[in-house]
Amino acid sequence: MSDTAAATPTTDERLAYRSVFQRVFVRPEVGGMIGAIGIWTFFWAVSETFGTVGQTFGWLDIAATLGIMAVAVSMLMIGGEFDLSSGAMTGAMGMLIIYMVKETGETGGWGLPLVVAIPLSLAVALGIGYLNGYMVERTGQPSFIITLATFFALRGLKLGLAKREVQQIQMARTDEATDFDLFRPFFAAEWARNDHQFELRDFTFITLIVLAFAIVILGISELWFKRNESLKSAGLVQFLAGIVLGVAGGVAMHLTDGVAANIAAAAAIAVGVLVGVNGWASWRYEPIADRGKLEIREDLKRRLAIGVGLVVVGAIFAVIIDSSSKRDVFFPFTTQGIRAILFVGFVAAGLTVLAMASQGALSINPATKFAVTSIMALAVVFVALTIFVDSESAKFRAAFFSVVMFVALVLFAWATIVSRFTERRHPDRQSDRLGARMLVAAALLLAVGMATRLLFTIDAEILAGIPPAKTSVRLLWFFVFAAVLVWVLANTKFGSWTYAVGGNKEAARQVGVPAARTKTQLFMLVSFAAWLVGLLIAFRINSIQANVGDGEEFEFIIAAVVGGTLLTGGYGTAFGGAIGAVIMAMPLLGIAAARWNTDWRWLFIGVILALAVIANKFIRDKAEGIRR
Amino acid sequence: MKRLKYLLAMLLAFSMVAAACGDSSDGDDSSDGETSETTEAEVDLTQGSDLTFHVITHSDDGPFWTVVKNGADAAAADLGITVVWKPGVNDAQTMVQDIEAAVAEGSDGIGASLPDPDALVGPLQAAVAAGTPVITLNSGSNDYQEIGALTHVGQSEFVAGQGAGNRFNDAGATKVLCAFQEQGNIGLSERCEGLSDSFSGEVVAEFMGLDADTTEQQNTINAALAADGDIDGVLGVGPVITMSALRAAQDLGRVITIGGFDMTPELLAAIEAGDVAFTVDQQQYLQGYLTVLFLYLNVTNQNTVGGGLPVLTGPGFVTPDNAAAVVSLSEQGTR
Amino acid sequence: MTPPLLELEDISKYYGNIIALTDVTTSVNAGEVTCVLGDNGAGKSTFIKILAGVHEPTEGTIKMNGETVSFTSPRASLDAGIATVYQDLAMVPMMSVWRNFFLGSEPTNGLRIDKKKAKALAKEEMSKMGIDIRDTEQPVGTLSGGERQSVAIARAVYFGAKVLILDEPTSALGVKQSGVVLKYIIAARDRGLGVIFITHNPHHAYPVGDRFMILNRGKSMGNFAKAELPRDELVRMMAGGAELDQLTHEIEQA
Repeated sequence: MSDTAAATPTTDERLAYRSVFQRVFVRPEVGGMIGAIGIWTFFWAVSETFGTVGQTFGWLDIAATLGIMAVAVSMLMIGGEFDLSSGAMTGAMGMLIIYMVKETGETGGWGLPLVVAIPLSLAVALGIGYLNGYMVERTGQPSFIITLATFFALRGLKLGLAKREVQQIQMARTDEATDFDLFRPFFAAEWARNDHQFELRDFTFITLIVLAFAIVILGISELWFKRNESLKSAGLVQFLAGIVLGVAGGVAMHLTDGVAANIAAAAAIAVGVLVGVNGWASWRYEPIADRGKLEIREDLKRRLAIGVGLVVVGAIFAVIIDSSSKRDVFFPFTTQGIRAILFVGFVAAGLTVLAMASQGALSINPATKFAVTSIMALAVVFVALTIFVDSESAKFRAAFFSVVMFVALVLFAWATIVSRFTERRHPDRQSDRLGARMLVAAALLLAVGMATRLLFTIDAEILAGIPPAKTSVRLLWFFVFAAVLVWVLANTKFGSWTYAVGGNKEAARQVGVPAARTKTQLFMLVSFAAWLVGLLIAFRINSIQANVGDGEEFEFIIAAVVGGTLLTGGYGTAFGGAIGAVIMAMPLLGIAAARWNTDWRWLFIGVILALAVIANKFIRDKAEGIRR
Repeated sequence: MKRLKYLLAMLLAFSMVAAACGDSSDGDDSSDGETSETTEAEVDLTQGSDLTFHVITHSDDGPFWTVVKNGADAAAADLGITVVWKPGVNDAQTMVQDIEAAVAEGSDGIGASLPDPDALVGPLQAAVAAGTPVITLNSGSNDYQEIGALTHVGQSEFVAGQGAGNRFNDAGATKVLCAFQEQGNIGLSERCEGLSDSFSGEVVAEFMGLDADTTEQQNTINAALAADGDIDGVLGVGPVITMSALRAAQDLGRVITIGGFDMTPELLAAIEAGDVAFTVDQQQYLQGYLTVLFLYLNVTNQNTVGGGLPVLTGPGFVTPDNAAAVVSLSEQGTR
Repeated sequence: MTPPLLELEDISKYYGNIIALTDVTTSVNAGEVTCVLGDNGAGKSTFIKILAGVHEPTEGTIKMNGETVSFTSPRASLDAGIATVYQDLAMVPMMSVWRNFFLGSEPTNGLRIDKKKAKALAKEEMSKMGIDIRDTEQPVGTLSGGERQSVAIARAVYFGAKVLILDEPTSALGVKQSGVVLKYIIAARDRGLGVIFITHNPHHAYPVGDRFMILNRGKSMGNFAKAELPRDELVRMMAGGAELDQLTHEIEQA
């Protein structure tokens, strides 16, 4: 279910060997991550500001509270239940905490210190969760109905008690707590980026990113290729030389300025990557004895022509259509939009055809494969140059150009090794484990690299007067909470039982799983999350309106579904819930950042939900091996 | 024609602002007086006039209606009569029942809000036909004449938006984001339309997230402000979204004139601190107080108010200058 | 002579005025298979429920190793060492084989499930039973019906069942798959379990059974040792016996 990516523990000879892509892409989290990257790229392209640090913190901030809930709700849904009171509960818990710490008086609260109020309110939250679980188990009614009752009750209590006790429809002033300053850092500490300088930031970022991608290539190689009987130390030397060259290129890029110097440095990095990757491969993997002769057959020739043709047509559209015009051609497209759609559409179609050609070439011989894949890499370089030449926007000319060039480099590096080394056709547990670990390590490096880029500023930026950006400790709560639940779900009895009670409750009960208790604990987990979110909001805005959170429960459920959790229970991951929250948060902010008419935003959310459901079904069918 | 209407409306608005100042101090007096002997003395004076008015509203939500109720209660106490307060739950059917019940009980006068004219005009016409004087309050400015009501006591959202627009003109803003927190709400749209009407610069009206999720509101407004560097003013058409706009502007470190609608303690504090330029106050205390007072004067003295036009209770403005005073009044539940 | 592992004496079960079972007597010894045969409505499922602790018998006694016992709940029955594999298997289709195998009794290292151990054990235990699962990571839903039965049987054996009750394990299976399941029944028997094999198919029962009890309309038509009962006789009794003779007669006359 959620074990390491490609670990196939048993090496039974009858096990059909599944290709790396089959093994990796069949996982629901991977699908979600690709979706998230797609949506990010989309908004990054259409908005001037979406990619900035400030806005990144913005959608992460939305994703944090949404994600804390979505992760817990995902687990409850895997356990086969819903909690419609989860949204209202976030506000209710926040109000409760504020009421507890509010100064006493006619329209006051209990005047408790937070050190008492925090555990006390947590106890209340868990009590509500317990009650939800107890009622569902006792009555045997669908949790949809039971928690709907809780939802209405909470909604009424929030308003009724607030008006009765403090004569307002809100509960205000968390900071009246005597020990507010003591707890503030834990729930509302902020990180102002402009206060934290780190001059080596970009160097660290680029180094880590390049390193991470190199490790991704090597990790996939480990999953892909057949190991040598013995290691070839010459390859190791070449590998190390490649690293030295690449790092030297990075340092040069950091230290020098000017076009010529940058091109030289980039070339050094490129050569370094190529040499290193090939070195690694010849160190570890079995070379192909006979690479065959280049042989472009008729159908292959046609595919290449069509693919290259489509890419060129896309580029022509980009050049001839006036990009500065924002005139509406026909609703909802502007000239600019049509240009982007034509360019992206034709280029994507062209590259897809080329990828198919590359796939087809595999069946001819390695030499042909190399040639075709190289042509594809060249097409990508062509696309990068088109963007560079014909784009007004600095972000496309600089950042996107570099990224596309890097993609071309990776493609070419892959072409060189895939045509020189033997593909593994049998499971190899040791290699699988190493490969999976390398992929995880790469993901961590990526995360650290991006965090460095996000959290620190440099002199140049401050001189340029970039707007301040800040993030808060709630992001950390989100990551920690999600990480803990991901671990719990994959590795503990409780996690196993969660899947079991959602998948087939009667069966679980028959083999001695305490089904009622497990479900009740899941409800309590959701109310714990609601309590945490309530606490975070109470510390952020110091006052909570009686309607805070009402209606949000559906966003949590949507996030869980987008993240691959099955509405009927028994299937999904906690990580998926976190990714789902990110996918939901990005358009919420992105639509405003793109300056689109916000009337359309629910349409966008609807389309995302529909696409996610279709994609998830596809992935799940693959995972279950259902043939239709 | 349209221009004439506009002028008239403005005239009324300003006259009511002036009136409002006086009235609110009256309200202040009365609430002070409740604990003293004055109330008893007044009760003595009006003994015998055992009038009962029904005030039937569509919502019980929020501090807003509490203040309306306080106004109606204060008027009842001042006049020595009985006011039956019937708060609704945004359900026209319940209101229809309450109206019919009031008529059946022989109510001496009905004040009603009119969120759903289609459902409520009929029953109120019947009440008028039965000889019960009716005043619409808060909502119903388009239909009170059809009902045959004495007048309408309320704020015109459009006029209130215009008032906000003039404030932004005074502040020298050039492009204002009208941030609303609910899609498809006519009242909120009218506030933005009023702003567009009177504001000399450009206005963009956009949905910026529900009040239920302030995190989303704050970050969405932040995104809109960051993406459009020309925006130098934000009008939040509710108090919660106004505070979200303030946090967003502070996060960005931009100098932005922020105006709001209605009041919460936080918003008042922010105005007092000078972070928010103003908030539009519809002085809903008046909607309760004046409705009862007008009904009373009509019943006892055959007076009519408004001359066929609605009586506007707003817009009143809370600015850093008067915020402190409003804060203390709002603590008493009259603002 | 040691008393039988499990013994039922004059078991009757009434649901209100409906008589589901009357005076049923049978037994199973360790290392033997007792087949309970009966057509639909013969009382097989009531019989299973009594043994599984879902229902208590109205009359009669159940003895284990000669001592009278009473099963007040499924748990009590399970604790006494009686494992029931229902027709609608106690399996979670979307969970992997090893998770299903250990569901409810996962081996742990502190908080963490010892996955390595669990996978290895599941594989080993199943191979002991002669079951060869390709990959313990694969979801149970992707297994064939016979394979699923075998996982359930192996699980019951591993968790120390003394008596294994199988409810129509072959009824939904094809010929080949049924044969596979019968093999597992024998494997369980050879490991010293008492197996109660409930079926309506005499052709499946006869090769594996040591003892046969035939139910008809809630009544036992008798207990037979294999030696006393030729296959044809069993088939004839199951096919309706005298009733079928009558039917044949009628058809021939017509």
